Amino acid sequence: MQKYWYRLDTAALIFPATRRRNWANAFRVSACLKEDVDTEILQQAVDGLRHRFPSYYVTLRRGLFWYYLEESSEQVRVRRDYAYPLTFMSSRELKHNCMRILVYKNRIAAEFFHSLTDGRGGSIYLCNLIARYLELKEGITIPCEGLIRDLSETPSPEELEDSFLKNAAEVASGRKEEPSYRLHGTREDRGFKTLTTGIVETRALLDAAHRYGVTVTALLAGVMAESIIAMQNAEKPRRRQRPVKITIPVDLRRLYGSETLRNFSLVLNIGVDPRYGDYTLEELCKNIYHQLCASATRQNMAGMIAANVQPQKLIPLRLTPVSIKNAVMDAVYRRSGESGGSLNISNITALPLPEVMLQYISRMEFIIGPQRSYPNNCSVLSFGGYTYINMIRNIRQSELERRFFSRLVELGIAVEIESNRR
Amino acid sequence: MYCVKCGVKLQEGVEQCPLCLTPVWNPEQKEERRSYPDTLPQQHLEADIPGAVALTVICAVASIVTLTVCLKLYGKLQWGGYVILGLLLFYVIAALPRWFREPKCEIFVPVDHVAVALYVLYICLKTGGHWYVSFALPVIISSCIISTAMICLLKYVRGGRPFILGGFLLALGGFTVLVEFFEHLSFGFRMFRWSLYSLAGFGSVGLFLLIAGMIPSLRQRMRKKFFF
Repeated sequence: MQKYWYRLDTAALIFPATRRRNWANAFRVSACLKEDVDTEILQQAVDGLRHRFPSYYVTLRRGLFWYYLEESSEQVRVRRDYAYPLTFMSSRELKHNCMRILVYKNRIAAEFFHSLTDGRGGSIYLCNLIARYLELKEGITIPCEGLIRDLSETPSPEELEDSFLKNAAEVASGRKEEPSYRLHGTREDRGFKTLTTGIVETRALLDAAHRYGVTVTALLAGVMAESIIAMQNAEKPRRRQRPVKITIPVDLRRLYGSETLRNFSLVLNIGVDPRYGDYTLEELCKNIYHQLCASATRQNMAGMIAANVQPQKLIPLRLTPVSIKNAVMDAVYRRSGESGGSLNISNITALPLPEVMLQYISRMEFIIGPQRSYPNNCSVLSFGGYTYINMIRNIRQSELERRFFSRLVELGIAVEIESNRR
Repeated sequence: MYCVKCGVKLQEGVEQCPLCLTPVWNPEQKEERRSYPDTLPQQHLEADIPGAVALTVICAVASIVTLTVCLKLYGKLQWGGYVILGLLLFYVIAALPRWFREPKCEIFVPVDHVAVALYVLYICLKTGGHWYVSFALPVIISSCIISTAMICLLKYVRGGRPFILGGFLLALGGFTVLVEFFEHLSFGFRMFRWSLYSLAGFGSVGLFLLIAGMIPSLRQRMRKKFFF
């Protein structure tokens, strides 16, 4: 039987090109249930979702001119979790499956190679997986509301489309950005990633954000920027400092009303230049909030989409062999992909789930891996009245986390800390 | 249970704060509730098979073309031997490690030196020179010992980087003097025409690194400046 296959979407093209022998761009969404997970039933649920989410049961293949995703003939096996999240996805693994399902005690985690989808798409898949698991285990019926899809249906063309192509402006916006301050430290052995989770009450976080008249994302980005500025101050004199920018992904589905399950988000580098003077936390939060509001508009994002889409339409470029494209994309990524930000804060806010599911789930988390050139990243998800702030790093130093969470405590937000630190 | 320094609430049973590493003292200490297991993943390093195949094909095609051209034009190898063995040397250095999942530098560096020694031997025999044993071989052996020693020290000795690099630079300075000495023995050139300059350069940087290794504040400052 002919295997189905997909072209990589516009955002996904960069990820195979920028992989390294020990780094691949991946993220994780996970949920903790109130009871330990039955792996056999979970395996049935994973297999049962294949026809509804075919774009996730794929392998990464290399054509002459482009990479593509092809239906995987292998089962996505439920595996036991490791000592740290987002262990390296090797080329060999991506030739079998680009998604992992991992279990530890009561936690179900799904890890995705970023060419498949973004955080929103990944969380939709996980929620449906848990719904199917609960249906099989508890014998309950879960209504198709919120993120839950009807598993008897086949995916609509809108769910599988590359929404970037439909929403690009005619003129592309510029890519040029001044390089930002780079965090650094001593690399952990054997690719170990330390995850520090800060658990805070969502209400307390919202109250603090409202005190400054900003959103939760802007508040967290402001606190993070303040922590990074303090670290840079301790390291070099002001005139030799660099801008501190936080990379914030924007989910474009809300802006353009897209239903796609593939990548449809872009990042904005928002921040301040500490060379021009000191900032209070309120100034930082407001500055970031206003920059975010001004940048995350339909028109501005359409220009940014066009900057990614237009090169793909050039015939000579399309006819260039994939190896040469890889080298070019890698160089572009190095120059403009990661250099513009000091760290990511990816907030996928709360996930709307049917009421009946909530009694079985105790918490949900979202984790993005460290970037290729910077060692820290932060991801946020709210569930059941709590916000889980996950800070991941591949270096030994925990200075940034210490400053960040201590500052939240100073703001009157009680923080509970969990870590897989060795 | 809270950290006395950061003020954050800690997991049950932890022995130190994960943020500031402040030890936790709790007379009613319970067993730690771990959020991740201890299992580490296996390392999945991969061989660069496409790169190795591409280089093999390029070297093979270039060798065949060279051989054909030489045989057609002269009926014998003529200059083709230099080219073909040069390609073989290139293959050993650039392509051979790509076939391995985890190529070990401490093995491939001596292998590369052996390949260079054989290639130079071929040149020496073809040109009728008598400089191989007195000049080329000792130079290659010295280079092999110095580079392999440095690689092994960097790889297997934890810490002491300034001492290792400083020692390497001093050895490199000494190596240049040795090269000039063998040059003097083989070709009768005057001693100390150029090697003292390189010895002074490498030696001063090497000595600086050795001193930096002994002064923690200077070492810290250098680590910050030259971090990569």
